[in-house]
Amino acid sequence: MASEIALASIGAGLVTLGAAVGLGMVAAAAVGGIARQPESAPKVQVTMLIAAAFIEGLALFGMVICFLQV
Amino acid sequence: MRPSASRGAVDAHSAGLPEAWLSPGRRSGILPPFRTVVNAATNMTSVAGKGEALREYIIEHVMYRTTHIDQWNIPFRHLAFLDVFRSDTVMLWTAVAVLLGLALLARRRMGDVPAGMANLVESLVAFVRDHIAVPSLGPADGRRMASLFCSFFFFIATVNLLGLIPIFSTATGNVNVTAGLATITFGFMVVGAMVRHGPIGFIRGLIPRDAPLLVKPLLLPIELISLLSKTFALTIRLFANMMAGHIVIFSLLGLVVIVGWYALPVVALVVALFFFEIFVCLFQAYIFTLLSAVFIGQTYHPQH
Repeated sequence: MASEIALASIGAGLVTLGAAVGLGMVAAAAVGGIARQPESAPKVQVTMLIAAAFIEGLALFGMVICFLQV
Repeated sequence: MRPSASRGAVDAHSAGLPEAWLSPGRRSGILPPFRTVVNAATNMTSVAGKGEALREYIIEHVMYRTTHIDQWNIPFRHLAFLDVFRSDTVMLWTAVAVLLGLALLARRRMGDVPAGMANLVESLVAFVRDHIAVPSLGPADGRRMASLFCSFFFFIATVNLLGLIPIFSTATGNVNVTAGLATITFGFMVVGAMVRHGPIGFIRGLIPRDAPLLVKPLLLPIELISLLSKTFALTIRLFANMMAGHIVIFSLLGLVVIVGWYALPVVALVVALFFFEIFVCLFQAYIFTLLSAVFIGQTYHPQH
């Protein structure tokens, strides 16, 4: 039904919202860290990418679940 | 996913979508070409009906692609031999062929001073070895297992990038393919660590050594589930990233079908997204390789 699709869409939006907050915090912390200690940039970047990938993975779990509903 | 007939599709029935396409048994049947769907969607009066037709089409496109007849082909003409590239198996073998060709090409130019293509391949291999394998596995293991991670990186990147070519299917957008790739990582995480440390050592390595004695039996099932969930996360991350890109591009193009030529500027946005997809393809190959290396390193060298 259309209402299920609407609910799935809202769910996808909520998932994106949560992931965006998390990714923003990761990126902010990484930028701050690199600004304070530029020589640690490579290590910070790799750690940031791993954390970002985990958050993104959670968001994609939500997206797949919403997609199954559609 | 339920067939749309039971969902009470808006006005899809009345407005010209072929009956065979909407019946519950259509998964096994022959699906109409894309232009039929576009015509049907264009003929529909309500925006909801057009959206319904497009949504059905996108789901068919990304999830049941091998059942389609006459739609992934060159414009205005049907070349039957191009249809085989709709199969993910064929795409995997195509990627193997491309990689073998690349390897032979690079090998020929690999003298004392690498030239041409060999430079590119060598820099990528050195990047995977020095920035992915060695930091997460240590110098000795990292150098020895660099070939595995190079295989992961090059294979996934090639499959992803080939999938961007319109006629080809994106094999990594199929959850079975990514599950197979993640199973290789899982095998190294479990079997490799068991070979190195023995089954008892593998179990002991899972549990943190300084945990309180009472908590240790609780930690074991958690860590075992964590092994599985890491593999599952690897699977879903790659699959969903690849699939999501196709859905987004298709949805934006679908605006043209729904709204008409007012929405034509969206094509520029699609072109921009396509370049972003190229970045995503390489980045996901990198992330899959990096996380595999980190996970394998965790079970190979526990307690550090």
